Amino acid sequence: MKIAEAWARVKAVRTETLVRAACVLGLVALPFMVTSVFVPTVWPVLVALSFGQALGTLSFALYLVAIARDLQLARRLRSRDAKDDAR
Amino acid sequence: MSAEGGIDWIGWLSAASAVAAAGVLGMHLVRRPPLSGERGRNTKLWLLLGLGVFPITSAGTANVAGFAATQSRTFCGSCHVMEPHAEDSNDPRSQSLAAIHARNTSFGKDNCYACHKDYGMYGYVLTKAGGMRHVYLYLTEYHDMPLEESKHDIRILRPLPNANCMACHTTTAPRWLSIGDHASSLEAVRSGTVSCASAGCHGYAHPMTKLGKELDAGAAH
Ligand code: HEC
Ligand code: HEC
Ligand code: HEC
Repeated sequence: MKIAEAWARVKAVRTETLVRAACVLGLVALPFMVTSVFVPTVWPVLVALSFGQALGTLSFALYLVAIARDLQLARRLRSRDAKDDAR
Repeated sequence: MSAEGGIDWIGWLSAASAVAAAGVLGMHLVRRPPLSGERGRNTKLWLLLGLGVFPITSAGTANVAGFAATQSRTFCGSCHVMEPHAEDSNDPRSQSLAAIHARNTSFGKDNCYACHKDYGMYGYVLTKAGGMRHVYLYLTEYHDMPLEESKHDIRILRPLPNANCMACHTTTAPRWLSIGDHASSLEAVRSGTVSCASAGCHGYAHPMTKLGKELDAGAAH
């Protein structure tokens, strides 16, 4: 039940918001990755491989969700148009 | 890889991709272009670059550089309790077994890795149990430990397998076999019952962390 509720809430988030969140996450993750390249010591590398990696993946995942949604919407609109034409 | 010799092209590629991604993302956040309609398609393509292509390139190359970095002596020496080992290897006059292996142009910078390959701190392993145990112990027990104490407190968990040495010293070269002690203990060396870095053989790899009695026991004859 809880999961279904959470999912419903996620679905209610606007695509614009989703994409902006992805941008912010990306902007937070990138400096971690770059720091690990310029300061190849244990903490920067450790943070980049775990935290940076996780945020970056999440950011890309949000983008994919946004695109998937967009395609769904487009398909729905198209099928509605098709019905309208038939009428 | 990038340890002492500066940043190589992989590092620069990572940085450049990150800057490109940040540019696209920053523009998107500031200008709020539409996501739908005719212009929406353009926006989505830009975002594919800013959220997909550039960051993935940056992260991928940063990983490659990071994996290489975890093999470097600079990396091992980044915790103060490893400094005695790293500094000894950095010293061009040191005659310790470890330092002798630090002067080679092909693996010298990665000499810790060359011998301690099976140690759990390389690449992604760093973020898994073996590596994290180390990091955890460092943060909880060893962080404030003075070097004088840590030098004599930290010991290898399992004797270093001879196989690690044999990756380079195959034990099959004629000149190697012509050494009396090598020939007489050949089976024991290959099977690992006698350690190459033991008393009476090559002694300690890091004599500077050993105390008087221990040191005598490990001294090469
Ligand atoms: C996060 C700080 C830190 C870094 C970085 C680090 N070490 Fe250590 N190392 C420790 C601590 C703390 C101990 C003692 C605790 C223990 O036994 O794990 C230790 C112990 C060891 C030991 C003896 C114990 C064992 O596992 O056999 C070896 C060998 C060792 N380190 C090698 C290395 C090498 C090689 C590197 C580079 C890849 C490295 N260390 C990087 C903190 C670090
Ligand atoms: C990555 C390859 C590599 C590994 C692993 C390695 N060695 Fe070596 N070793 C070399 C090379 C190369 C030299 C020659 C160094 C030189 O000419 O500067 C050498 C030199 C030596 C010497 C000669 C030192 C001297 O004073 O002449 C001894 C002894 C030795 N290694 C023992 C060991 C032992 C014991 C191990 C395992 C604990 C080991 N090596 C692991 C490559 C390796
Ligand atoms: C020639 C192979 C060799 C190289 C190179 C080498 N080690 Fe070791 N290491 C050993 C052996 C063998 C031992 C077991 C104890 C000894 O011989 O001193 C050991 C033990 C250790 C220990 C346990 C504590 C101690 O002092 O006994 C630590 C920590 C360690 N090594 C870290 C490092 C680090 C960091 C580097 C790189 C600067 C490094 N080692 C390079 C072979 C090597």
